[in-house]
Amino acid sequence: MNEEGKSLLEARGLSRHFVVRAGGTIIRKKRIVRAVDDVSLDLRAGRVTAVVGESGSGKSVLARMLARIVAPTSGELVLDGSPVAIKQKRTLAYASKVQLVLQDPFASVNPVHRIRHSLERPLLIHGAAKTDVESLSESVLARVSLDPPSRYLDRYPHELSGGQLQRVSIARALCVKPQVLLADEPISMLDVSVRLGVLNLLRGLCDEERLAVLYITHDIASARYIADEIVVMYAGQVVEQSKGTRLIDEPAHPYTRLLIASVPDPAALTRDQVKGEHAFTGAAVSEGCRFYPRCPHAMEICRTSEPPMSEVGEGHMARCWLHSYTSEVSSGALTVRQRGGTVSKQ
Amino acid sequence: MSAVQIPKSPKVILGASIIGFFLLLMIVGPYLAPYDPSATNFAPNLTPSASHWLGTTSLGQDILSQLLTGARATMVVALVAGLVATFLAIGVGVAAGYLGGRADDGLSLLSNVFLAIPGLPLLIVIDSYLPVAERSNAFVIGLIISLTGWAWGARVLRAQTMSLRNRDFVEASRIIGESRTRIMVAEIAPNLLPVLASSLLFTILYAIGAYVTLAYVGLTSTSVWNWGTMLYWAQANNAPLSNEWYWFVPPGICIALVGTGLALVNFGIDEFINPRLREGGLSARQRRRIGMPRRPRLGFTPVRRVPGAMTRLSASEPR
Amino acid sequence: MSTSSLPRAPHHDVAPSDETALTSAKPESNDLVLEVKDFSVDYGWGERAVRAVRNVDLDVHRSQVLGIAGESGSGKSTLVYAVTRLLRSPAVITGGDARLFLEADKDIGSDARTLDLLGASERELRSIRWSQVSIVLQSALNALNPVLRISAEFDEVLRTHRRDMNRHQRRARAVELLELVGLNEDRLARFPHELSGGQRQRIMIALALALDPQLVIMDEPTTALDVVTQREIIGELRDLRARFGFAMIFITHDLALLVEIADEIAVMYAGTIVERAPAASLHDAPRHPYTLGLLNSSPPLHGEHRELVGIPGSPPDLAQSLVGCSFRARCPYALERCAREAPPLVGIEDGGRMVACWLHDGSPTNLPEPLRRKASPTARDDLAPRAAKEVRS
Repeated sequence: MNEEGKSLLEARGLSRHFVVRAGGTIIRKKRIVRAVDDVSLDLRAGRVTAVVGESGSGKSVLARMLARIVAPTSGELVLDGSPVAIKQKRTLAYASKVQLVLQDPFASVNPVHRIRHSLERPLLIHGAAKTDVESLSESVLARVSLDPPSRYLDRYPHELSGGQLQRVSIARALCVKPQVLLADEPISMLDVSVRLGVLNLLRGLCDEERLAVLYITHDIASARYIADEIVVMYAGQVVEQSKGTRLIDEPAHPYTRLLIASVPDPAALTRDQVKGEHAFTGAAVSEGCRFYPRCPHAMEICRTSEPPMSEVGEGHMARCWLHSYTSEVSSGALTVRQRGGTVSKQ
Repeated sequence: MSAVQIPKSPKVILGASIIGFFLLLMIVGPYLAPYDPSATNFAPNLTPSASHWLGTTSLGQDILSQLLTGARATMVVALVAGLVATFLAIGVGVAAGYLGGRADDGLSLLSNVFLAIPGLPLLIVIDSYLPVAERSNAFVIGLIISLTGWAWGARVLRAQTMSLRNRDFVEASRIIGESRTRIMVAEIAPNLLPVLASSLLFTILYAIGAYVTLAYVGLTSTSVWNWGTMLYWAQANNAPLSNEWYWFVPPGICIALVGTGLALVNFGIDEFINPRLREGGLSARQRRRIGMPRRPRLGFTPVRRVPGAMTRLSASEPR
Repeated sequence: MSTSSLPRAPHHDVAPSDETALTSAKPESNDLVLEVKDFSVDYGWGERAVRAVRNVDLDVHRSQVLGIAGESGSGKSTLVYAVTRLLRSPAVITGGDARLFLEADKDIGSDARTLDLLGASERELRSIRWSQVSIVLQSALNALNPVLRISAEFDEVLRTHRRDMNRHQRRARAVELLELVGLNEDRLARFPHELSGGQRQRIMIALALALDPQLVIMDEPTTALDVVTQREIIGELRDLRARFGFAMIFITHDLALLVEIADEIAVMYAGTIVERAPAASLHDAPRHPYTLGLLNSSPPLHGEHRELVGIPGSPPDLAQSLVGCSFRARCPYALERCAREAPPLVGIEDGGRMVACWLHDGSPTNLPEPLRRKASPTARDDLAPRAAKEVRS
């Protein structure tokens, strides 16, 4: 078991660009979409890192790059202290350390095979003896609280509920005894009443087995519930990140504020009407801040140059000119702590 | 409980029994034949009678014996061709669909070429190059027919595979480190089963048609009896013109029956793929009996207010 | 309403005034738009039938937003689609009544009338669909024809139901409708795939309002959207409702969202309504253990961090016949009685609420603490002017 806080998987400047053909009917222009742009993350043993973002923010591509089923355009990965040869094919050893749980539990377990098959395969691939497979499958099912395991092994996926299937998916990932567990919106397809069960399971795995967990979500409240560190992504970039829940209690980036204000919250009596251009978030902006077209506090500098990540508090960074510049640009609408100038280089 | 359940509708049962009957005939047909089908020791052009149920040919051969003996070659060729073609289709289709890229380009080109070449002329050309001895070999003929019959199935399976390729369970298999071959064989192929079965049925149907046609134009060995050769001889002896229906109608009916049986079983597979066709597993008569509209209209939910049903429902609830 | 000894009468005995409305030719003082009684829907026939909706009573008042909350398989969509007769076979309506009370509509020159939805002919149903009852679906991408421009969608709706409009009038109406939902006129020339998810859903809302319907059904209209877009659309829907006064049935699994938009909320579980209450009091003081569990299943954005558990177990198999309360297996407060008898949906003392739970048998001492909470009278109650029909004793 790993010592708590040890860095297990680190991403440095990870980017993925897609080339799309767009534009005119006769001459087709090529356009580069920066789905993920220069993202750095550090996943540590016994910690849950949450990545929050809307669809199109690049959070799923990021998870797939970390699992190495999508090749990054550039950047580095460091697994357990040693750099990963990112241009080469993913090795089985990598798969045995980093596992990904997908969003849709109904689609991610093969409908024609019994649950037994879905657990046996990773065990056999990663070197379990044929005779141990049965007992190993049962213990891993017990680990995800599917009790009694023998009752589930011979079932077909269509006989299980969404919550149970998502547990099977997590069990399948656990079969290889990974150190890093990536979960791509694991609860968004589940019924409200079973979501907490899956979240608590992930948290438990993190605490008890010292896994490094990456929790990807669009639901910032669930990130607050489970995470030790929260990262907010917008249009392929990290726009704000903080240790603990600081980012939710004192959001610094206008986008994070927008996200938080948008969550349905019956406890909030009055609220400001949220205004925002509903434009495509397809990273169409080529220069300047990517949030500029929707930002209520946009300034001239936001249109022309991209803001750097800057520190706005203890372990709390934001990518916004409001926080990178000194007081002269701080907008009255946003309570800016004047910490200007501490521009961090990644 | 199994993941694959073929619905037991009357259609499927009828279709399966027809096919079962002809498969049985394939095995025992030649033994059931009362006479040697090639022997010419009867009076020619006898109409059906107690001793010759289907009469005799103008050469004095017993037609019933020809029909029964011919079932074997016809069915064997159909099965061999159907199975071989389906295997070719799986291999090419699944590989093209899953691998994508250059492999897909190459394999698709291959199947498109075979689709574009007219099957029958190609068959005739290949067949005419065969040594005469081989022309009587049902397996060889079956293999040749399968060569011209796999391409359509490959295209259908390729399309299906492409839709499965990006499904999450395939991605999940990749994530745990499964090899490409195993993903194709163990994860994707079982999901293609309904399509596969349907494709097999139609290839068999195609093979019967192709074999009968080859025999009818006289390109198979006339020493092996099949339904096509019977038609060939009937035609050569002007049977249709001289009203000897008992010579050419029975083999025609047999061919049509096998086709019907295959199509009926395929209905069952369709219902399996698309549960909406099942209508809750009720026949039209059952629907009428319980007071349902015979043909439910799309977008108008049927209403059935039966007093009995209500009491049963509310039995668990104190009112 | 009397206090401790509540009559445990089923819903329609409680409100006898509705019965007279049903028999009269014209709806008079009654401000109902839709009334559903003892409604049941099965999928399939005979022993294998899935009893998706069982004996549900429901009514929607003019300009009211009724929220229906429930998880997948709770029957919330089945109920609404069956009431409008849109579900296809093998779904069957096996019992009950559903009536639509239509106001006089001078656009199409119709008088006020009552339509028996289950007895109506196909022609009658077709005449009210979209013009009086319209629907916004979860996936606008599937609902819009991918090969048609947006203008063609508007054209088709208007051409079918407003024969007297010419091309220019239709165009003008379409532009007007787009403005209502905050979209520019140039969207008319676009194809669905050229628009963002939020824009497509706005188009669907504009289409649903095209013929001034009296009832708009929203089936998870924002589930596929991002939270920011969802917030915008919810705000717009509120404004539109205030402006045009259509009644709305809003179906979703997100109870927190419903509390914001609905006047009254019905919570469904395993094919029945288990609780019905004005939105704010349902949120502040749930009375059914399932509602309480649902509310405790969403982690909060503010306040102290504490461990939450959700609701253990999974819903019952509706193909099996259910004895007793359907929530009993997952209920932390289940009584011995719950295994024998299913609780009916009855009125309870505080403020026009109904609940189907044996815990509310009139003696407050039996009630677990979380179900005893008082609804705080807040400003939000004013947001729900039509807070539930009072329950008469």
